[in-house]
Amino acid sequence: MRNLTLLTVPLLAGCAGRHNWLSSAGAEADRVEGLFWVLLIGAAVIWSAVIGAAVYAQRRQVDPGLEHQARWFIVWGGAVIPTVLVCALLIWGLVILRDITPDKGDLTVRVDGERWWWRVTYDGPDGDVVTANEIRLPLDQTALFRLTSDDVIHSFWVPAIGGKMDMIPGRETTLALTPNKTGNWGGLCAEYCGGAHALMRFDTVVMEPDAFDAWLAAEAAPARVAPDDPGFAVFRDEGCGACHTIRGTDARGPVGPDLTHVGARARLGAGIYAMTADNMARWITDTHAMKPDADMPPYPDLSGARLEALVTFLLSLDHAE
Amino acid sequence: MRYESDKQPSRFGPPGYAPRVIDQGSVWIMVAAPTLWALHFVASYVVAAVWCARIGPSLTEPRWIIAGMAVVCVALIVWLATQAVRRYGGVFVIFEEITESSERGRDKFIGHVSLLLCILSGVAIAFTVIPGFVFGSC
Repeated sequence: MRNLTLLTVPLLAGCAGRHNWLSSAGAEADRVEGLFWVLLIGAAVIWSAVIGAAVYAQRRQVDPGLEHQARWFIVWGGAVIPTVLVCALLIWGLVILRDITPDKGDLTVRVDGERWWWRVTYDGPDGDVVTANEIRLPLDQTALFRLTSDDVIHSFWVPAIGGKMDMIPGRETTLALTPNKTGNWGGLCAEYCGGAHALMRFDTVVMEPDAFDAWLAAEAAPARVAPDDPGFAVFRDEGCGACHTIRGTDARGPVGPDLTHVGARARLGAGIYAMTADNMARWITDTHAMKPDADMPPYPDLSGARLEALVTFLLSLDHAE
Repeated sequence: MRYESDKQPSRFGPPGYAPRVIDQGSVWIMVAAPTLWALHFVASYVVAAVWCARIGPSLTEPRWIIAGMAVVCVALIVWLATQAVRRYGGVFVIFEEITESSERGRDKFIGHVSLLLCILSGVAIAFTVIPGFVFGSC
């Protein structure tokens, strides 16, 4: 018994936390959870009935007089009722799928799956607001996600809020998320997409609508970069702007994540490391030790004051107070 | 009860005699209904794919094309089911085991299996049609 208890601990640990779809932090997750419980309880009832009937049949004396009823029992229990149940479940599942993939939402967020990070673009009031690896959503509003991929098939999933949906090269898929609890919920790629697939994650921060509007306005603003910032000088000298964009500067690289407000994000490396100076320095100098196969080349020659200046500069790319 | 298969000969006749494909003694009736389902399934995919790629994004028209094809296929399956009953002596529920090693016994078995496959294929075609009526767009 004690061993059994010990075995269940890690299983139960999976039932809590920011990645748990039973946490039910979104309207769409509620729908899927409802279907799950009906399936689970229904399957348990049917399984018990079948096993019960088998045990009953084993213990009972054969009565040839009941052969006729037994045949009809098999026809109804084994064919007619399962067909009706499967048909009902099919329709129910299809209706849920239809409802979580609408054409319109209160706001639109485009997410492009890259190997192995997320390019996120909000349809802001004054045009596109580009960010990466962190998604913020307003409470009780339906966000319509337009999902694409440039390379391989990814799958966009925020288990606690709803989903998931494949991101298919050459196509656009849609998914609605309507969070109904504030908090920080984990998101991940749910389709194996190559070496660092397991490290392709993101934070989903659900905020009050006013706070979200303020955040979006701050995210839309260009970066505040002093012309003589020594860190920005390193950024330029090392050619970082060839891949990364910092709005408000001449760095317009479209390849890697937008860094305009990278310092305002909680994590780096696509949701896998805390945004600290140590992690940022290591990310720049030893990228592949932190994320194998990442496209970004490491800069092991950067060290000392230059590295420190670059890290300080990147972390300073925060929102204006 | 008298079955069509009681008549002799059934499979072999005078020179030049060609048995019908769906008739007692032939096993093709067993694969006919699942084949209709498969054809409907493939045709539905082709119709939806071509429509969505070339005309789209509404599924209103192709859903009726798919449903129309389903009606035709189900009508053919119903005809097959009647043949399974009339020509093969097939019944839905068998209350007595078929142990007879005779042409009639084999026909009855084929008729029974065909009848079940007809029902299965009809349900499968319905399952193919339902998504088109739930989803309104590509």
